[in-house]
Amino acid sequence: MAMTMTIERVMAFMGLDVLVARDEGLFEAEGLDLRIAALPPDEIRSAAEGTPSKPATNQGKLQARGAAQMFQA
Amino acid sequence: MIVCAALVVPPTSTVFAPQELAHKRVALDYGNGTAYAGLQMLEGAMPREAVTTCAGATSPAERFAGLMRGDFDATVLQEPWITVAEKAGCRLVSTTFFHGTWVANRDVSTEAYAALLRAITRAVRRINADKRQYVSYFIRDWSSHSEVAVLGPDDFNLGRIQLKEPGPIPENEARWAWEWMASWGLIEGAFDVTTQINRKVEREAHALATAVRAG
Repeated sequence: MAMTMTIERVMAFMGLDVLVARDEGLFEAEGLDLRIAALPPDEIRSAAEGTPSKPATNQGKLQARGAAQMFQA
Repeated sequence: MIVCAALVVPPTSTVFAPQELAHKRVALDYGNGTAYAGLQMLEGAMPREAVTTCAGATSPAERFAGLMRGDFDATVLQEPWITVAEKAGCRLVSTTFFHGTWVANRDVSTEAYAALLRAITRAVRRINADKRQYVSYFIRDWSSHSEVAVLGPDDFNLGRIQLKEPGPIPENEARWAWEWMASWGLIEGAFDVTTQINRKVEREAHALATAVRAG
């Protein structure tokens, strides 16, 4: 049975390796069903709403509520 | 993945070197790695009290637009917006690189993490063998933006696209990053490696993934 893992959405600038591995079937070849979850658009906040000590970041939101196991910081 | 971040000024700016950004408004996407990289570039060029930042949008497209409108004096950008900015005549006054780091919860098994590491290691090798083939990913992320859609693979500086096979997090680097953030008031408390890095899962997963590294 394949292992499953859900990660938060990555973009090329910080996750090119993940995107290529997904598109070229490298996770599948390792028996890993890797799913990439995106935050619903209405939950996305801009960093412009934050301050240095209280940033309005979107990273980790899905993980915090159990909808993803990993995210990239 | 190694992330490239650049401090960028508009074509009309009188700033040519990072120290000339002292007391000038630099838009940072607070809470993101690029913002911390921007802060480190500024800190390396001037006294802390001269570092002047303002809140920038998470989207580099919006930060680039704000830069060109003159909303602030400089901003930090990542690819493909560094390339877009250069094509628009903007100048990079400082460039740096930083590690993207995976944050995992306790549900991640050693076996699944090892499989992830093996797949990523293979991907890194493929990309490093022919980076130009893969820069289309940077364009694809932002293809609805005309400034990006017109880019071609030859427009990219491949030196800014760096990938490294994944490895364990060095404790001294994790500690330094924590203490640096604490020194800016961005994080509280003392660094405790046992609460930040699950060395057992990390060690076992990397051991399981070793075969692909050797192969």
